[in-house]
Order: sequence, then C-alpha cells, then structure tokens
Amino acid sequence: MGTTDFAVFLIDDDPSVLKALTRLLQTAGYKTKTFSSSEAFLDEHDPSVPGCAVLDLTMPGLDGLELQQKLANKATRRPIVFLTGHGSVPVSVRAMKAGAVDFLLKPVKRVDLLEAVGRAAALDKVARWADEERRSVYAVLEKLTAREREVLTHVIAGRLNKQIAADLGTVEKTIKVHRSRMMAKMGVRTVAALVRLTQKVSLEPYRTANLFGPKANSTDHVNRAQISAHADSDRGR
Amino acid sequence: MSLPELLAAFATNLAVAALSAAAIQGRLSDRPWFATFRSTANFVFIVGFVCPAIVAFGGAFVPILSGGGVDNYWNFWTQWFASNALGNLALGPLVVVLACEGPRTFWAQNSERKAEALLIGTSLVVVCSIVFDQSAGQLMRSFLPVLFYLPVPLVIWSAARFGAKGASAAILVMAVVLIWRSLGSNLFLSGTAESNVFALQVFLISLAIPMLLLGSSIEEARQANQQLRQDEERMAFAAAAADIGLWQHNPHIDPFWATDHCRAMLGLQKDPPVTRETILSAVHPDDRALVDDIVVGTRDSQAPLEFRVIMPDGQMKWLQAKRATNRNAAGAMINTSGVFTDITIRKAAEAEAELQRWELAHLMRVSQVGALSGGLAHELTQPLTAILANAQAAQAMLSGKARNLEDLAGAIDDIIADDLRASEVIQRLRTLLKNGKGEVEAVNIHDLINSTLRLLNNELISRHVKTKVMAASGTDFVEGDPVQLQQVLLNLMMNSLEAMMNTDAWRRSLTLTSQRINDQIEVKVVDRGTGIDAGGEAALFNAFFTTKERGLGLGLSICSSIIERHGGSLSLSNNADGGATARFCLPAINA
Repeated sequence: MGTTDFAVFLIDDDPSVLKALTRLLQTAGYKTKTFSSSEAFLDEHDPSVPGCAVLDLTMPGLDGLELQQKLANKATRRPIVFLTGHGSVPVSVRAMKAGAVDFLLKPVKRVDLLEAVGRAAALDKVARWADEERRSVYAVLEKLTAREREVLTHVIAGRLNKQIAADLGTVEKTIKVHRSRMMAKMGVRTVAALVRLTQKVSLEPYRTANLFGPKANSTDHVNRAQISAHADSDRGR
Repeated sequence: MSLPELLAAFATNLAVAALSAAAIQGRLSDRPWFATFRSTANFVFIVGFVCPAIVAFGGAFVPILSGGGVDNYWNFWTQWFASNALGNLALGPLVVVLACEGPRTFWAQNSERKAEALLIGTSLVVVCSIVFDQSAGQLMRSFLPVLFYLPVPLVIWSAARFGAKGASAAILVMAVVLIWRSLGSNLFLSGTAESNVFALQVFLISLAIPMLLLGSSIEEARQANQQLRQDEERMAFAAAAADIGLWQHNPHIDPFWATDHCRAMLGLQKDPPVTRETILSAVHPDDRALVDDIVVGTRDSQAPLEFRVIMPDGQMKWLQAKRATNRNAAGAMINTSGVFTDITIRKAAEAEAELQRWELAHLMRVSQVGALSGGLAHELTQPLTAILANAQAAQAMLSGKARNLEDLAGAIDDIIADDLRASEVIQRLRTLLKNGKGEVEAVNIHDLINSTLRLLNNELISRHVKTKVMAASGTDFVEGDPVQLQQVLLNLMMNSLEAMMNTDAWRRSLTLTSQRINDQIEVKVVDRGTGIDAGGEAALFNAFFTTKERGLGLGLSICSSIIERHGGSLSLSNNADGGATARFCLPAINA
C-alpha cells in the first residue's frame, strides 16, 4: 500500500468526482490532494513531494494534455494517470507517448485505478531512488581531482595503466597512485563496480577511437562540464 | 270617289304607313318587341297617336274635296285620326312582329299554347258575332253597352297569356268582326253609318290601348320572373360548383332559406325546412354554442367562424361560416345572410403541415442531441464515475477492519446525490428527444437559459468558451412549449459556438441576456465569432440555406417558425465589436 509521504494529486473540474475518488483512494491508504483546475495544481506544485497526478482530460482552462505538456517543459518527472470520459485513440496515443503512466476510462474500477496509481507510485519511487543514487555518484565525482577524473575515464574505457601513462605522458607508477586514490574515493574495489557506478550518471568513457595520437586535455574539459551540468540539474529538482 | 280624292286618301294612308314605319324603325327598334311596358307605351304614343294625328291633318281634306264643308274639318280630322289610329294599333304590333320574327313566333309555341290561342280566337269571333246578333235583333237596346264588354275578358285572357302580341291580335279579330258586321247592318239605330263606325273605333281604341299596355306589363313581369329564376339557378349552380352553401335567415321566421348544396353540406334532407334545430343538430356538439351565437344568433362577427359538422354517415367535416347582417335605415336587423364553405381539405392539409413541422422540429432536436452526444455522455460519465468510486470505497470500508459508519453514510449520501444528478441529465435528454405536441405552459426564461447551458456544458468547456448570463431570475415568464423554446436557444448557441471556432481562445465568449421590455421578453445570444456575411441576413432564415460545410440549412428556419408560432420574432445582426447577436422577443405573461 501507499507509502507515508506519497500523495495522489487529483485534478478534475467536478467536485463530486474529486470527493468520491478521494474517498476511494483513502480506503487504499493513499494521501490525496484535490485541485479543481490545472492552473490551481500548477500554482501549488512542489516537485520534491513524492506523488502522482490523476488528471481529467477535459477541463476548463488548461486541459489534461496541456498540463502534461507544461509539466514536461518544466523537466519535472511527475507520473500522470489520465482519467477521461471519452478517450479517443489519437488522444490516448499522444498522452502515452508523452509519458503517461496509464489512460483510464471513466467510470473507473477500483482495481484499475489502484493498479495504475500503484504503478505510478512505484515509478515515482524508482525515479526518486535513481535520482538519489545519481546524486550520490555526482557527489563523489565532485571530490575527485582533475587528474583522477581523467584517469577514471581511461579506466572505465578498459585501458591498462601502461597505456594510460602513455596517453597522459607520465609514468605507470604515477597512474597507479591516481588510480588507487580514485578507486578509494569512489568506494569501489573492482573496475566492474566502477563501471556500474559511472553508468548511472552516463559518464562517457575515454574515446579509444583516438588512435592517431593523444588529444590535448579537451576530453577532460568535456567530461568536467558534463558532470557539473548533471549535478546542477539534479540539485535543481 | 273622284280621282283626286282617291289620290289624297292613298297619299295620306301611305304617309301614315311610312311615318309609322320610320318611327318604329328609328325610335322603337329595341327588341324583343312589346316586351316592356315602356316600349309599348312609346309605340302607342307614336304609332297610335302622333303619326295618325299628323297624317289626319292631310286626310281631313279628302272629304272636303268630295264636297264636305270646310266647317267640318275637325270632324273629318277626328274620323281620319280614329280610323288610322285603330288600324295602327290593331295591325301595327302584328305586322311588326311578323315582319321581324316571322310566323315562327307562333309555330315555335308548343301545342298547348297553339290550342289556347286558337280557342281564344274562335271564342272571340263567336262572342263578337253573338254580341252583334243580339244587338242587331234590336231587343235589348238599353243592354247594348254591357254586351259590348262581353269580348273584353277574352281580350284580357289573350293579353295575360300572350302579352302585347296576344292583346293586339285579339283587338284585331274584334275590330275585323265588329266592323264587318256593323257595315251594312243597323247596329246603332240613331246616327249615320260613319258615326257608328267612329263610335266603334273609339271603343276599340280605348280598349286596345290598356290591353296592349297590360299585355306588355304582364310580359315584362313574366320575363323578369324568368330572368330571376335563371339568375337564381345560375347562382345556385355556381355556388355548388364552388362548394359554397348559401343561406338567409329572418329572425322573425325560423325556417332558413338555404340552397340545396347548403343542405347537402350540413348533411340535411332536401325536403324538411332548415331550422335552427336542424342546423345545430348537424354541428359537432363542442361547436354548437359558437354556431348558435354567430350563425343563428344576432351577434355580428367579422372573422369567419370555423366549425365542425357531423355527416349522417358519421364523417366529420370542417365548414367555415361568413355572415352579413342586413339592416334597415333605422339600424334594425332585417335578416342575416351568409355562406358556408367546406374547408375540410384545407384543414387536413393544415394538420398535415403542422404534423410535418413537428416532425421536422423533432428531427432537428434529435440531430442536435447527436451533435451534443459526446458532451452529454461526459455529463453522464461524471456522476457515474463518482457513484462507482463511492460504491467501491464503501465496499472497501465494509471489508476493512475499522468500519467508520459516518464515512459509509457519507459515501452513500454522495451516491444518491450523484444518481439524481445523472437522472437529471437523462431527463433533459429525454425532454429534448420527446416528440411532444407542444404542451403550452408558463416558461421561466431564466431557468430555460440555465438548463440549456447545462446541456452545452461540456461543449463550452472543450471549446474554451466563457459564458455570461444576464437574466433577471424568476420574473421573466413566457407562454409556450419549453422543449421547442429550448431547441431554439440550443440552436442559436450551437451556431455561436461554431462561429467562434476560429476565434482566438481568449476572445471566445457567449453572452446570454434576457430582459423585459414593456410586455415583451427579449432574449439575446451574443457571440464573438465570424458574424454574418453582409447582405446575407435575409437568406439566413430560408430553408436549406447554409453557410456550414455540413449544415442542412434548416436550423434557423425552424427556429424562426417556432418563435413565430409563439407570437414572437427572431432576428440576427452583427455586433459593432465583432461577432453576431441573435435576438428574439416573446410576449411576456405574468406568472
């Protein structure tokens, strides 16, 4: 059943529908919050609160699809369950393509609604957990020195210490030191674990296509910029 | 007689004949001859008096030439005048008729008439002969003048039966017999033969003139009578051909005068008199009071009255009555006359047209419902969603451990409320789909506007149209069929919505106003759409005129006829700031 801090945001222009859905979801232990229009929902929207939105498609002002669009523009990943009296195939396809969790027809059965809301809750939870994980990876990456980060991209590209040393124009011993410090900071013992970790933040490995000689520290710049950008956007959520 | 005498006599006789002929030709040529009193009087005056009088001035010289004294001129003049006048009066009419119409006038008569004419002629000859034989026997001298009157009844008979022609023929027979018998016989003991003949002439002239006039008068009356009968027959025929029944009623005499066709229209027998009772018995019981008042009664009515009659075979007919009251100079009613027209076919056609209008209006409502079906489904889905959610919540509450009866009662209350809401939607839909026959009731315009907006609720939301209602609640009542009036409002609003399809969403708005202006309720539907094409206002109300790609072009034409049947008018105009306004006025009632 629902987690303690997870909320279902109900948006419908019909007060009696809002009231009934609230009652229904409460029997399943969900917390709910109701809004009579898309605008009212957007005004109060806090992305940090875990929850999903159950939207009516036809509403005065912004309709359901427009609200979905607005949320996407804000890069806020709020799972949406559509609830409509008359859904056509094109409309439902549009909604699903835009990332809706489900597209339910009114009047909705309890099992269907709870199943969809449950799925939305799971998605929200997974997304938040992934976010959390990503944030922790970024936090560790932030702690690395520039050289250690450089070595990391080479390591996850599967290169040997000797090759790395040649690429970076230093001796193998130095690379070994950087490498062991980096592994310690990242909290991993094996290269495999390191790769899994960096994949969570989609960190690009050093490009081995660079066969015709070393490039100046350009890759390093790119990666640094990439990482900080990710970190910023994740913090912004 | 000497030659000059003969010549003079011949000349004067010729002159009288020529003069008379000229006079007849010039002055009296209106035919048929002697058919009117006036023409006969003219004939008598000219041919029987003027012409003989003029010619007698010459004729009087004939006896003078033969030795008569000049002192006797006026005696001779009188003799000449009398003999010519008698000749003209006795022979003239017959000569004229024979000359112009020929003997066929006689032969054209049927055998009874011929026999009658012969009987009169023979009787006259016999009677006249007897008169002379009696008087010639010198027996009853003192009785003589009375005897002379014996032929008179026969002359009157002839005049009465054959008119002026008969009279003149009888006079001629009498004159011939009398003069023939008197010449050479001693009818009158005293006096000369000339004075005797003169006395006879005066007698015959004084008999001929009134008889001729009497005959022509009778002829005239007979012809007028015949004309009248013909006219009446023609009128009755024309009235029957036009399916019109004529009647007349004198308030002091009960039986009506009515044409045969009029009786047939009422389903009455031909023979018994038409009375108030027989008319009323034919009329439909519900219409009897009206018919009694207007047809039989004394009330004047300008508008034609329509009423039903029941035929003997049980069939119902619609008749229309128009009535006029004839009054004398003092204003008292003389009689009433009127016509009945059979309007059964028209009534049937009207009923048929009315039925078709209803059907058409109903079909338009059905198609409106079709257009609204999506929105109406949504209107139904909302309460159904709430009901299902509440019911399932209640179910979950019951199966759960902690049962809160208060929450359960709340869910059930909401189920009931939403169920009622859903049935209201269905009720509205059913009203719109109903093929009613226009029950008239007091309609609150404010409520009507609001319920129409509810029907359109979903449409307005999905089209992003804002609505504004400006109506005085509870005071504006009109009399009419709420279904039809709602259809009009719905149609006008739908038109507005369609006109605003290409309007910017923020500009789309629909304003509904109703206000009382004197004894009218004015309702306006104002939109901000494309408006009406210039010059196209008049065509908008025509059937099958449409500006829509998929329109039938019947909406406004039906709306307009609905409003007109409610005693109002519908008009469309463009707004100064864009869009159009549909406006209709209906008579207000105080409810």
